[in-house]
Amino acid sequence: MRRFLLRRLLLAVPTLFGVTVVVFATVALVPGDPVGAFLGPGAPPSARRELTRRLGLDRPLPVRYASWLWHAVHGDLGTSISAQRPVLRLLLPAFGQTLLLAGSAFLLVLAGGVLLGGLGAIRPRGPVGRVSGALSTLFVSAPQYSVSLLLIAVFAVHWQLLPAGGTHDAFGDGGPADLPRHLVLPAVAAALVPLGLTARVFRAALGDLVEGELADSLRARGLSRTAVLRHCLHNASPALLTIGGLQLAYLLEGVVFVETLFSWPGVGQLLYNALSARDLPVIEGGVLVAAVGFVGVNIAVDTAHAFIDPRVRSRP
Amino acid sequence: MTPTMTAATPAPIRRYSRRVRHWIRRDAGLAVTLTLAVLLVLLALAAPLVAPYGPTTGLLQDRLLAPGSPGHLLGTDGQGRDVLSRLIWAARPSLTGGLVPVAVAGALGSVLGIAAGLGGRFTEQALLRSLDVLYAFPGILLAMAVATLLDTGLGAVVLSLSVVLTPSVARVVFTEVQRIRTAAYLEAARVSGAGRVGIALRQVVPVIAPVVLVYCSSLIGLSIVYAAGLSFLGLGVSPPTAEWGAMLDELRPSLLSHPAVAVLPALAILAVSVVFNTLGEALRRRSGTGGGLRTGAVR
Amino acid sequence: MTVPAFSVHELTVRHFGGKGWTTAVDGVTFEVAPGEALVLLGESGSGKTTVARSILGLPARGARTTGRIDLSGTGLLTLGERELSRVRGRRIGYVPQDPTASLDPLRRIGAQLAEVLRRHGMVDGRRVARAAVPGLLESVGIPDPERVARSFPHELSGGLRQRAAIALAVCCEPELLIADEPTTALDALVRSHVLDLFGRLRAERGVSLLLITHDLGVALRTGGRVAVMRAGRIIETGPVAQVLANPDHPFTSQLVGTQLGARR
Repeated sequence: MRRFLLRRLLLAVPTLFGVTVVVFATVALVPGDPVGAFLGPGAPPSARRELTRRLGLDRPLPVRYASWLWHAVHGDLGTSISAQRPVLRLLLPAFGQTLLLAGSAFLLVLAGGVLLGGLGAIRPRGPVGRVSGALSTLFVSAPQYSVSLLLIAVFAVHWQLLPAGGTHDAFGDGGPADLPRHLVLPAVAAALVPLGLTARVFRAALGDLVEGELADSLRARGLSRTAVLRHCLHNASPALLTIGGLQLAYLLEGVVFVETLFSWPGVGQLLYNALSARDLPVIEGGVLVAAVGFVGVNIAVDTAHAFIDPRVRSRP
Repeated sequence: MTPTMTAATPAPIRRYSRRVRHWIRRDAGLAVTLTLAVLLVLLALAAPLVAPYGPTTGLLQDRLLAPGSPGHLLGTDGQGRDVLSRLIWAARPSLTGGLVPVAVAGALGSVLGIAAGLGGRFTEQALLRSLDVLYAFPGILLAMAVATLLDTGLGAVVLSLSVVLTPSVARVVFTEVQRIRTAAYLEAARVSGAGRVGIALRQVVPVIAPVVLVYCSSLIGLSIVYAAGLSFLGLGVSPPTAEWGAMLDELRPSLLSHPAVAVLPALAILAVSVVFNTLGEALRRRSGTGGGLRTGAVR
Repeated sequence: MTVPAFSVHELTVRHFGGKGWTTAVDGVTFEVAPGEALVLLGESGSGKTTVARSILGLPARGARTTGRIDLSGTGLLTLGERELSRVRGRRIGYVPQDPTASLDPLRRIGAQLAEVLRRHGMVDGRRVARAAVPGLLESVGIPDPERVARSFPHELSGGLRQRAAIALAVCCEPELLIADEPTTALDALVRSHVLDLFGRLRAERGVSLLLITHDLGVALRTGGRVAVMRAGRIIETGPVAQVLANPDHPFTSQLVGTQLGARR
C-alpha cells in the first residue's frame, strides 16, 4: 500500500511540472502590454525601461518561469492588479468558500448518485428503473448555469422560499440555519450533472454485479439477499470512486458558474472577476491552485481506490 | 401503415420503407432524438426564414415584455428585442460551438490516438504524458485559459473547446488501438512490409471509426453547454451577436424582476442539451460499445 | 429400501423468449444415492446447467419450472427464498465453472470462508470461524492453508482458486455437491487432483455428487452413473463405463465418436 502511494506521488511530479508550464505559458503569452497598461500611453522610454527591468520582463522566458515557480512554491503568487493585495491572501479564503460549496455538492452527488443508480440497478425493468434512467439523463444535461437561473427564478423570486445569493443574510443574524439555507440552491445547481453521471455509472456497475456470476455464487452459498447486495455494493465501490473522483473535478470547475450566479465568494467568482478585469496575476494564481488541487484530488481518489480494491495495488 | 403505397409501388421502395418503419419501431428513442437534432440544425440554418424578427431589431420602449405579449411570443429582452427570434438566431453560433469542436476533436484525437497506439514506445509515452497534463486541468479552466489567450470570439470558443475535448477522444482511440494492435492481421501486415501509415489507414481506421463516432456524438451536448458557458463568462461571442450563453448573461440583471423572460435561454440550452445527450446515449446503446462511459472518460 | 438422497422428477423448465416459449429442460428425472456420483453429460445448450440452477433455485429470468426436486425428504421447489437460502451452501454445495468469477475479488479467501461458516451456524462467533478456516482449506488439499487464507483471489493460481471454491462449497458438510464443469479451466494435473478430491469426499463423507460436464474423460474418471442429455432431455442413463463403451442411443455414439476422434 505504501509502495503504491509512493509510486503514485512520483508519477504526479512530471504532471505537476507540465501543469505549471502550461499555466505560465498561457499567461506569459497573452497579447498585450502590461508595462504600457501600468504607466499609461505618455510615459517616457526611460520609465518604460525601468519598469520593464523591475518587473523582470526583460529576462528570457525560462528564467522568468523558474523565478515564477520559485516564488509560487514559496507562497508568493504575485499581487492582484485590481485589489492591490497579494494573490495568495485573496485565494485562500476564497478557496475555503469553494471547498464548502463543492464539498456539500459532492455529498449530494454521492448520496443521490448511489440512491438513483442503486434503485435503477436493483429494479431495472419496472417503473422505478425507467424513472431513474430518465432522471439521470435529465440531470446530466442540466448545465449549472441553466439550473442556477431556474432555481433562483423558482425558489427565490417566485416562491420566495430560499435566498438568491450570498453566504449569509445581509441584515441581522439569520440564525444557525442561515448558512445551510444559502447553501442549498447553489449546492444543488452544482451537483446535478455529476449526480446524473454518477448515477449512470453506478447503475451500470451495480447492475452488472447483481445479475452476474459473483452474485449467483454468493447466493449459491446460501448468503441472504441482504448480504449478497452488501457484497455487490462493496464490489461496485471502485467504480463509484472512479466516477466520484472525476465528478469532484467537474465540481471544482463548475463552481465558476454557480458562484458567479449566486454571488458565492469562492475561487470561481474570483476568477470570473479577474477575467473581466484582465487581472493576470489572479488568473494565473487561481488556475494554478485549481489545477494543483485537481491533481491532488486525483491522487487521493487513486489511493482510496487502491485501498478498496487489492488488485489495483499490484498493477504497475 | 402508409396508405399511399399500392401494389404499383416498386418493390425496392416498399422494402425500404418497411425497413425504416421497423427501425423506428425498434428504437423510438433514437429516431425521435435524431429527428429533433436534425430539426435543430435545420432551424439554425433557416434562421433568416423562420425567425419573426431580426436578431437586433428592437425598440427600447418595448423592453422586458412578458412572454405572450402581442407580437412577441416569448417576450422581449432588456433592449426590446424579440426573445423568440434571438433564440432562433442564436442557434447558429451556439450549435457551431457545439458541433465544430467535436468534429475537430474527433479528427485530431483519432490521429493522436492512432499515433500513440501504433507509433512505438517513445511516441506512445510522449503523447500520453502530454495528454495527461492537459487532463490535469478541469475542462472549464482549460477552456478559459485558452480563450483568454486567443481573445474573445466564436473562433476562440471553438479552438479552446477543441483543445479541451481532444485528449478524451485520443484516450478512447488509444485504448481501442491498444486492444487490437496485437491482432493477427496487424501483425501480418507488418510482417509483409506494409508501411505503418498504410496499416493505420486500411486496418485500424475502419475498426475505430464507429467507436469514435459514438463517443463524439455523446460529446456534442457537453460541447454545446461549454460553448454557451464560455460566452456567458464573456469569453465567447460579444454583443450584440445572439448566442444562448450570451443571452443568459444579458438577461441576468433582469432575473429578479422578470424571471419568466430571464430563464428562457437557460431552458433553451437545457432542452437542446437533453436532446443531444439522449441522442448520444441512444447511439451508444445501439452500438453496444461502452463508449468510455465505464472509465468515466466523459468529462 | 433406502430413500435416495436426492431425486429429480419430471423437471421441466420453460422460458418465454423472443419467439414464444422455449423448453430448456424437458421432463428430466433421475436419482442420486448418498455417496454416489451422477454425471450429467452433454454438449453446451443441452440444458444441463439449467438443471443445476433449478436445483439451486437460481432460475433464469422469466423461467417457469415444474416438477419435483427432493433432497432427503425436502421438496426444494416448494420452498420460499428464505428457506431455500438456508438449504443452499448448507445442504447443497455448488462448485461453479469459473472460480475467478465466483470468488469476491475484494476479500481474502479466509474471510469469505468464515462468512459462510457463520451464516449457516457451523461455528460460534468470528474467532472460532477464523480458526476453523485453515483446517477446512487443508481438507480439500490446499497446501500452506494459512497463506492461502490470508490471500486475495487474484494472488492465487487457477488450481488453488478452484480448490478454494470447492472448500466454500463443502465447508458446511452438504449432502449433495453440484459441480458445473469444475475442471474446464484447469490443467491436466490439477484436474486429476480435483477429481480425486471429489472421490474422497464421496467416500469419506458420503456426499452425493452431481457432476456436469461435456468431457468424456472427466465422466470416466468420476465413475458412478451417467445421464446423457440432449436438447433438454435425458436420452440414456447407466453406469459410465458401460454407456460410453456401448451406447444405445445414436447421439451418445456420436458424442463418443467425436471426442475420441478428436483425442486421436
